[in-house]
Order: sequence, then C-alpha cells, then structure tokens
Amino acid sequence: MSHHPAQHSAPDSLRPLKPVELLVLTMLSAGERHGYGIRQDIIDHTRGAIALEAGNLYRTIRRLETDGLLDESSRRPSAQTDDERRRYYRLSPFGRRVLAAELERLRALVRLGEERRVIAPLPA
Amino acid sequence: MTHADRHTAARGERLYRALLRLYPPPFRHRYAEDMAEFYRDRVRGEARSAPAAARLWMRLVPDLVMSALAERAAYLADRTRYGSPALDPHLHRPEESMSILQQDVRYALRSMVHRPAFTAVVLATLALGIGANAAIFSVVNAVLLRPLPFAHVERIVAFTHQAPYVQVSEHEFVDYQRDMTSLSKLAAYSTPTATISVGDQPVRASGARVSHDFFDILGTKPSFGRTFARDEFAPASKARVTVISQALWRQQFGADPGVIGKTMQVSGTKFTVIGVMPPGFNFPDATTELWTPWRMNVDSLQTRNNHYMRLVGQLASGATVEQARAQARTLDQRWMRDFPETYFPSQPLTAAITPLRDALLGPTRPYLLALLGAVTFILLIASVNVANLLLVRGESRRKEFAIRAALGASGGRMVRQMLTESMLYALFGAVLGVGLAIVGVRALVSLAPGDVPRMDEVGVDYRVVLFTAAITLATGLLFGLAPAARGLRGDSNETLRDGGKTSAVGASRLARRALVAAEVALAVIMLTGAGLLVRSLVKLQAVDMGFDASRLLTMQLTLPPRGYTDTTADEFFRQLVSRAAHLPGVTAAAADAALPISGSDNGWSIMIDGRVVKTIAEAPVGRPNPVTPDYFRTMSIRILRGRVFTESDRMGAPPVAVINETMAKTLWPGVDPIGRTLKMFNDTAPWVTIVGVVADVRVRGIQADVPSTMYFPYAQSGVAAYSMPRTMSLIVRTSGDPAGITPTVRALVRAANPLVAIAQVATMEQVVGRSIASRTFTTILLVGFAALALALAGIGIYGVIAFSVSQRTYEIGVRMALGASTGSVMRLILGEGVRMTATGLVLGLAGAMVVDRLLRTLLVGVTTTDLPTLAAVTCVLTAVAVCACALPARRATTVSPTEALRAS
Repeated sequence: MSHHPAQHSAPDSLRPLKPVELLVLTMLSAGERHGYGIRQDIIDHTRGAIALEAGNLYRTIRRLETDGLLDESSRRPSAQTDDERRRYYRLSPFGRRVLAAELERLRALVRLGEERRVIAPLPA
Repeated sequence: MTHADRHTAARGERLYRALLRLYPPPFRHRYAEDMAEFYRDRVRGEARSAPAAARLWMRLVPDLVMSALAERAAYLADRTRYGSPALDPHLHRPEESMSILQQDVRYALRSMVHRPAFTAVVLATLALGIGANAAIFSVVNAVLLRPLPFAHVERIVAFTHQAPYVQVSEHEFVDYQRDMTSLSKLAAYSTPTATISVGDQPVRASGARVSHDFFDILGTKPSFGRTFARDEFAPASKARVTVISQALWRQQFGADPGVIGKTMQVSGTKFTVIGVMPPGFNFPDATTELWTPWRMNVDSLQTRNNHYMRLVGQLASGATVEQARAQARTLDQRWMRDFPETYFPSQPLTAAITPLRDALLGPTRPYLLALLGAVTFILLIASVNVANLLLVRGESRRKEFAIRAALGASGGRMVRQMLTESMLYALFGAVLGVGLAIVGVRALVSLAPGDVPRMDEVGVDYRVVLFTAAITLATGLLFGLAPAARGLRGDSNETLRDGGKTSAVGASRLARRALVAAEVALAVIMLTGAGLLVRSLVKLQAVDMGFDASRLLTMQLTLPPRGYTDTTADEFFRQLVSRAAHLPGVTAAAADAALPISGSDNGWSIMIDGRVVKTIAEAPVGRPNPVTPDYFRTMSIRILRGRVFTESDRMGAPPVAVINETMAKTLWPGVDPIGRTLKMFNDTAPWVTIVGVVADVRVRGIQADVPSTMYFPYAQSGVAAYSMPRTMSLIVRTSGDPAGITPTVRALVRAANPLVAIAQVATMEQVVGRSIASRTFTTILLVGFAALALALAGIGIYGVIAFSVSQRTYEIGVRMALGASTGSVMRLILGEGVRMTATGLVLGLAGAMVVDRLLRTLLVGVTTTDLPTLAAVTCVLTAVAVCACALPARRATTVSPTEALRAS
C-alpha cells in the first residue's frame, strides 16, 4: 500500500476534519509516532478525557493514509528506543497543509467566539 | 520493559488476534501487527490485574467490533478505492451516483454505529439464536441427514426377532433366506469380541462374523484390497482371511499401504488381511473393527432354539418393507405350528424388520429432534425480542420518519429502508452466529456421549450453510416486518406537531404486548420441556441399582485363547483377585462374567426342582453370572436370605447357586427357595442347590426390567453353567479415588500374565454415567436453552415496560399531580407487566401440553401434565416477570409531577 498523495488536491477539499482526525494529525505535527504513542499523546493533551482504543485509532489512521494525509516513516528513531516491528507514522506534506488549513478555519471560528464574548480573548 | 519482554505474547493476545479477523483483509494486512503491538502495550501498561484486564476487554471489544463493521462496510462500498488513493487522484468522497440500496445500507450502518448499545444487544440476541441453530443443525445434519455410507440404503433392512427371542437361529436364517421372495439377498452376522495382536501387545477388538452377501447388501467397496470370495465361506475352506476397519488399519498397522497380505493373530489363529474398509464404515456397530467370513455348514446347523445372530437384507426390486414383514409373519406362524417344542404359544415368534436407517439412527433421533426443536424456539424468541426492540426504537424514531415523509419519501421507500436495516442486523448476527456455531460444534463433539453415531463426521457442509442462510433470511423478515409495517402507518402531521413525544396509539402497544406474550409462551413451553426431562433424569438416578457404584474400578480381562484349562483359569482369577484385594487402598476385589448396567441380559433355559420338562419351550429362563466368592461384598449387593459363596464352594464341591429376588418371586412365589434346585436345560448338567437370595441388580441400563438371574461360583461354572468364561471383569473397591489406582491394577495383571488382554477400564460410576449419557447430555443442553429463553423473555418484558414508562411519563405526572399514590402508580405499571405475562403463561402452558407430547418417548415416570413441573415453571416465570417489571415501576414512582408536566 505504498503510495503518494495526490499532488493536485486542494487542502480545502477534505475539510472539515473529524475531531479525532484533527487530534491525530495535530499530535503527529510534533514528529513521528507509533500508534500507541499517538494514543498516549492524546491522553496527555486532553488530560485523559479522550483515550482511543486500537479499533478507532487504526480506522482513523487508515482513512488518513487513504487520503494521503499521513504516511509511514522510513527513518527510525534512535537505536535503543527502536522496535523494528513497529510502524511509525508521520504527517505528509499534504497532510501538513490540510491540518494548517483546518487550524486556520478553527482560528477564525475562535476569533468569532471571542468577538461575541462566548469565550474571553486570551491576553495578547 | 526489556527488549525481550516486549516481544513475548501478552495474555489474551491470541484471542485479540482472532478478533482482528473481523477486519477486511487489506486492513488486516496493513495494521494487524501494529494493533497487536498496541494491545501488548495496553496490557503491560495498565492491565496487570484480572479486574483491570476485564475492564480493558470491556472497552476493547465494542471498539473493535464497531470499527471492524465500519471498515467492512467501507471496503464493501468501494473495494477499488479502499486504502489505495493512487488509483484515484481526485480523492472525492463517493457521495454521487450511489444506488438506493447503497444509500440504504450506508444509512443503516450509520444508525447502527451511532447506537452501539442497542446494536450490541440486537446482534448478541441474533447471534445466539442463529449460532445455536447452526450448531445443533450441524450435528443433526451429520447424524440424521447425511447419507449413510451404504449404496441404496433405502432398500436395506435390519432383520431380527422381537422379545423373547431377540435374535435369529441358524435354521431360521436358512429358511428365511430360501423362502422370502421379497428379499433379494439376506445375510447373517454375529458380533463376537476377539483378542487380536499384530505385535506383542494383545488388544480386544469388536469383530463381526458375516455370511456371504453381507458386503454385497451394504454395497460398500473397500478402500483397497477386496472383500470375501464365495469359496472362503465354504465349510471346508482353509483360508483364514479378514477385512479390517480404517481405524484398526491406522492403529495396528500404522496406516501401512502394503497391509494387504500381512497377518495378525485373531483369538490365537493367524488371519491374513485382504481388505481395508473406508472411513465411516462401521456396520454393524460403531466399534466394529474386523470382519471374518462365517463358514456355516448347512448340513450340521445348531439347534433351532439357539438364537444368536442378526440379519441384514436387501429388498427385491419393487418389494416393500410391509411385504417383507407379511412374508416373515407367515413363515413365523408356520414354524410355530411345525416346531411346538421350540416356540411356546404364550411367546410367539415375531420378526422385526426395520429399514436400516431407522435401526441405526432410531435411538438418537428423538434426542436430536428435541434439541432442534429447542433451538428453533430460541430463534423464534430471539426474533420476537429483536422485533420488539425495533418496534420500540421505531417509536422513538417516529419523528425522523415523519420528517422524511413530509419531505416526500414514499411509504414503500421507507419500508424498504427499514427492511434493509433488519436484513443487515440479521446478516451481521449470522456472521457472529456462525462463529459461535463453530465454537459450539467443537464443544458439542467433545462433550457428546460416545454412543451417538457418526459424531466424528460432524462439521460444516453446504447443507449447514444453506440452512443458516435460510434461517437468517427468515429471521430478518420475521423481526423486520412488524416495525416496517408500523413505518407505513401514522399521520406525519400529528407526529410533527406534538414533537414525537406522546405515546404510541393502541395498535402498536398491542403489537408489542402480543409479541412479549408470545415470547413468554415460547419460554414456558421450553421450560416445561426441560423441566420434564430434568424430572425424568432425577427419577432415573434415584432408581435403586441394587449395588453401590461409588469407588469401584472395573476392567475386562480376557485370558489368552490357548494354554488355560478350567483349573488353571480358576487358579489365575483366584490369585489375581486375592492379590488385588491386598493392594494398598483396596478394600475388596472380585470378578464377574457380566457387569451390572452394561452387561448382557441373555437368558438360558433351565429346569427347576428336579422336574424334567419335555420341551424347551416350557422351560423357565435365567441369566447366568459366574462370580468369584467375594463378589457380593465387593459390589455391596444386599443378601436377602441364606448365604453367599465362600472359598469352599470350589471345583468338585457340591454345586451351589445364589439367585436374585426376581427369580425367587417368579419361580418360587410365596415359597422359600433356599435348598431348592435348578439346572441347565441339558441332560448332562448337574442339579444345583440354591443357597441364597440377593437383591436385584440393574443389568441393561437403569430403565430396563431386571431379568431372573442366577449366580454361580466361578470355580463351578464349568460344570453348573456349561463352561467357564475366559473373559471376566475384575472389580476393585477402593477407599479413595478408584481411577487413581488404575496403573497399579494394570501392572498387577501384566505381572500375572502379560498376554492377558485388558479392555474397558472404567470406574463403575462411569459405566452408569455412560448408560444415561445421551439423556444427561440432552437434558443439560435443553436446560441451558430454556434458561436462555427465560433470560430473553425477561429482557423482552423489561424492554416493553421500560419503554411504556418512558412514554407515559406525562400521564403518570398528571396522575400524581391529581393525587395518585406511589402505590397505585406501582400497581399500574406492574399490572401491565403481569397481564402480558399471564396471557403468555396461559398460552404457554396450553402449548406445552401439546408440544411437549413430542418428548413423550424421552420421559421416565412423568407425564406431560406433571403438576410439580408446571407449578415450578409458573413460579419461575412469574418471578422473572416481576423482577423485569420492578425496575421500571420503581422509576415510574420517582416521576416528579412538575417535571413531567413542564417537559410536555
């Protein structure tokens, strides 16, 4: 299933991302992770509110991979932490663009919420 | 965590990997290893204790099943695009140009995924129903439906006599063979056991001595080699040839392809193997392992009253079983006139001719059909339950349907959509059910008693697949139609106006209650059936067997065919028994020729009280059992009068006998039999003095009547009972677990003579258990199924009442605002449940009397209208119904009037 993401796709074509897709992509923006690592990052980030199980997680990974947003890393982490049986995932360049576009959209939404005083604006 | 630690499989990983098979193959290929790795991390990270592991699995399974279903759906919807974007650079999500079916399926899948709890309950219910059916049907298919390994089995008949003759004598066989034109062929066989040896180790094997035409009638060709030639049946033939079974070929010859022409010892004579039968061919008995030709000499047949063979025949073309029976009857009646000294008028000779299929499968059939009936009921109940769940959900989806109708969806379109949903549920239920069935069949095969024929052939074949597909389709329609019909009706305007909140109109409530009542009725029928079988089993087990079966070890010993005279045989068993009795942990030891429960009940003609009767037909019958002196103490058989045997009742001493109570009552009614005499129906046999009377001991199973029995001292049996048996069962009573002493006793026998064949090693409790194994097995399964039915019915009642309460919140609120007490609200809700249950109960009890009549052949000591059983069923069901209603009823009483009214 090695493949290249489509070159011509506009990042906008895939929005809006599902919340769990957004979470997974955002976690991968820090670097490559294996499945369990992604889960742990999400738990840390959401303070345990969201703990993905394998089925849901790998189904999300399958979709993101199909859509070309992430791919398998060819590089391996340092030798002592490496486990050659694991597959590491990373954000594809196209995935980074889609994530950026999605976060932009969210930022606009957050701005709107702030203007309307749904939430207090962060001090600048 | 060390490197090595990480690579060893975690607990439960195999099961987890098995579950991963639910995913479509491409998904599996890419992610299964990763997911397994993920699972290990989870187990090591947080599930080191058992409760933690349980919590982990509670999370894992729904997640895995739901995502696997979704992946399967995605894979089905678009195989080419699934996971391979390279083939489709535009990455459009395939919304356009979907067929209506695809839309329906997608929609249904989405609604399934969005209600995981509901979906899980529905799928579990269906999987149980379909799985139980597929499993039991696999067994029924293999045992009853699949063709027997005989050519033209419909033309083959089994041929014996009814009691008291049971079997057929040589003269009768020859006459039947000559005179019955309705049979084109007729063969005779008897089934002696033989000691065989290929190498050094002698073993006991069931053989069959067969007359010419035996293999022709059955029409089975050997796997290789040949069956017997005509000249091998000639009385003067010197050929000693045998055909062996597939099992014997594998065990004794290591499946040697060059076995033809090799020899083996059969009861001390060298036989040449000429053929090997195919697997599955095991006529006349499941255990038959070798066949030898019967060289019957027509000029010197044994006497007409020596009934010891069974027959198998082939109907002439065009002839029926009835014609064969009529011809045999004519012959039997003529012989009764011609040979009055052989056949007694009060005991007419009656041929028993049955199609071979019935003869072989008859005893098993009622048990299997009872089980098939039970699982059909389970499936019905499961369907009713699911229909009810869908109806209830249909109610809460009324608004959704109203909107769709208002937007222009046609009624047909919506029915179609609901049916699609039902079918998908049925399909997924079937997939899970087949998984259950595979596990279930394995469990059934390993747990089933050994006397079920053809159990080794149980497996899944196209009939099972067809059957499962058919019941899946039927189930889908069955539980889907009611909710779909509901979807057609209903005024969308009204529903939209009141926001879909008010309770359903009468018709649907009635439908739901009717379904629950039906469910209860089905459960009652099953519970009653199971209850009756349990009562039968209890009654059987309470039967006084006449001896104490606990802590007894038995094994059948056969002396080598040459080298033992009566004196040395007596010496051998006397020493062996005495040595066994002195083993540590052994309290007593003895030997007998015919064990209780599993033994033969063949009787011999005798004379009594010195009176000589003219013809054998007038002679009474007794079943002989030569035993060693300590037999009665070892078996704990009660002594009613006189004495039992001592060491001084030896060879040459005055011959003595002990008789059982039945014989005493039959032959000496009202008289003390001690001191009376009896002898074999034979001029040279001596008169034997009766010295004692003992309690009756069950001989053929637990149910059969006890025959008149006479015990002889083994040492005197050569004189008193024609001959001294060379095959005896050693019986050892232990102080501890009898099975534990087996190796010691075996070693003792080997040390006494390594050429003695040991067979049928079992504790007496196993022997007793085996005699009712089919019944016990069926009863346990039926009780399990009945419990399942009861649970499903309980869930059904709960579902309907709970839903009713939630729909009537407003009404209850009004009632309470107007001053209704919690008690009266409670009564209102409980009353609804009780009415439903009572209707079902009455219908079910009536149904049970009709349906459970089919179980009649399996019942012992109870009738289908057994009051205690019916009462117990009523109580259990009422209790379950009350429990199922109590929870929603309590919730109803906590309704706050103001809340309820404001919410509306």
